[in-house]
Amino acid sequence: MFSKVLIANRGEIAVRVIRACRELGVGTVAVYSQADRDALHVALADDAVCIGPPPAAQSYLKLDRIISAAEVTEADAIHPGYGFLAENPHFAEVCEQSGIAFIGPPAASIRLMGDKAAARRTAEAEGVPVLPGSRHPVQDLEDARRLAREIGLPLIIKASAGGGGKGMRVVDSPEDLEPSLATAAAEAAAAFGDASVYLERYLADPRHVEIQVLMDGKGNGIHLGERDCSIQRRHQKLLEEAPSPALAEAKRQAMGQAAVRIAKAAGYRNAGTVEFLLDPRGDFYFMEMNTRIQVEHPVTEMVTGLDLVKAQLRIAAGEPLRMTQADVRVSGHSIECRINAEDPERFLPTPGQLTTLRLPGGPGVRVDTHAYSGYHVPPFYDSLLAKVIVHAPKREEAVAVMRRALDEMQVEGVKTTIPIHQRILQHPDFLAGRISTQFLMRLLKSR
Amino acid sequence: MDLKEIKALLRLMEGADLEELEVAEGDRRIRVRRRSGVSSMPTVSGGPRHGGTPLPAATGVAPEATGLAPIESPMVGTFYRAPAPGADPYVKEGDLIQKGTVVCIVEAMKLMNEIESEVSGRLVKVVAENGKPVEFGQALFLVEPA
Repeated sequence: MFSKVLIANRGEIAVRVIRACRELGVGTVAVYSQADRDALHVALADDAVCIGPPPAAQSYLKLDRIISAAEVTEADAIHPGYGFLAENPHFAEVCEQSGIAFIGPPAASIRLMGDKAAARRTAEAEGVPVLPGSRHPVQDLEDARRLAREIGLPLIIKASAGGGGKGMRVVDSPEDLEPSLATAAAEAAAAFGDASVYLERYLADPRHVEIQVLMDGKGNGIHLGERDCSIQRRHQKLLEEAPSPALAEAKRQAMGQAAVRIAKAAGYRNAGTVEFLLDPRGDFYFMEMNTRIQVEHPVTEMVTGLDLVKAQLRIAAGEPLRMTQADVRVSGHSIECRINAEDPERFLPTPGQLTTLRLPGGPGVRVDTHAYSGYHVPPFYDSLLAKVIVHAPKREEAVAVMRRALDEMQVEGVKTTIPIHQRILQHPDFLAGRISTQFLMRLLKSR
Repeated sequence: MDLKEIKALLRLMEGADLEELEVAEGDRRIRVRRRSGVSSMPTVSGGPRHGGTPLPAATGVAPEATGLAPIESPMVGTFYRAPAPGADPYVKEGDLIQKGTVVCIVEAMKLMNEIESEVSGRLVKVVAENGKPVEFGQALFLVEPA
């Protein structure tokens, strides 16, 4: 096991990784920008290094300063968290070259799965269904028109190098193709430094169901079931649950096995997530693979009883998987609500000082947060303030626990998305498990 | 008394707006004193942690309070006063320096980065320790501006 891990991240995930390290007896180093001097992850780590001024581009994305911080503190491994440099293959390479273990997959797997068109081809080669789409990035307008005729409408234009909802455009009619190509490519270039886009059939109102995998790089790979992340606003997840109300056991196993096959084909190691879309008939299609630990990993931890971050540390330290697929047990139901420091009407971030913070507790409630009473929420980073996660034997009970927990939770000084969650948790479609990716937008429009 | 406790004391001082704090435990004593108008920064230490290693006192300085301008590290790495072991240091206390004068090296990822001064004036104090890690924004030298 490593003797010291540097966490190349901030906020709640940095706290999460520090907790796993402490329980394994591993030393911890936090890195922080000047805006995060008083952050919880800095206070909890054994050691801390300031790596730059507040903007992420000058601190948490400064690969050289992070490597340097690992060198001067003699850390032997780096955990990248999610976001920032977590899916930057160059960062993973530099870690290896510097003799520092990267707690995640090999750089080549990150690179392969980071190229969305290449990821699609990988899935196809494994016999996993993919939505009709282009096998290579679009060459030019003629190519796009030909592809559009093959794929059919509606279709979606997506950035090859992208994710997070950027560089995407839905095309409903043929005359929209040319202008949408131009704007999607421009957005892709701005967000990811790569203007290449690919085309895919667009499902109007699918479910988003993803599979958690764990691969040890020694030939063993398992899946830990699914998470249903259909409740999204503009491709940003807000509420996640496991298991998915939409999946029967046979479908679950089919998707799980498909996910493990794809991960193996990508030479994957460590924790990863394979995302699928389900159409109204329940047919699943590969969408993309996320080569990192995800925000919503706690719902899988609650239903399986496993600590995914510890698993990441162990795999990275060279240990084989301790479980086979037959050992995996999914029990009960878990829901996570992302509490963002945002105006629930207009979804604009609301930085500020938390004058009151009262967190929920009691049976079946887990809170992952970096916030504390008096904490200044900085304006430079994402608005995730806390994740409230519940677990109960059945879905209806989990909903009751979450409603109770969110009623107990009090946050003053910033606005939060708690009111949105409370509306979701009372909506008849949600209670019936009738959710899909348009659900939240419909709910928000129906005030 | 270990590093975490010392860091907690520094934060306590800042939070309570104290100028000086002395804590005794058995036969060990630590005193931390702040210059007025200054916020104390936790400084990084490299190498294995041993209890009892004292931290340098607060290194952030506000020019209005003392009239001195800090030269701050623009990167994370190891601070060296001289171009090579055994060579003369780039600068010493009392030297007159210009904006652009190379004042030290910060080694990062096996590269020796020459750090240039942003200010002209007289070098009054070497604040960082030779061969020790420095973090972004950490004061390396104090200069009396010309």
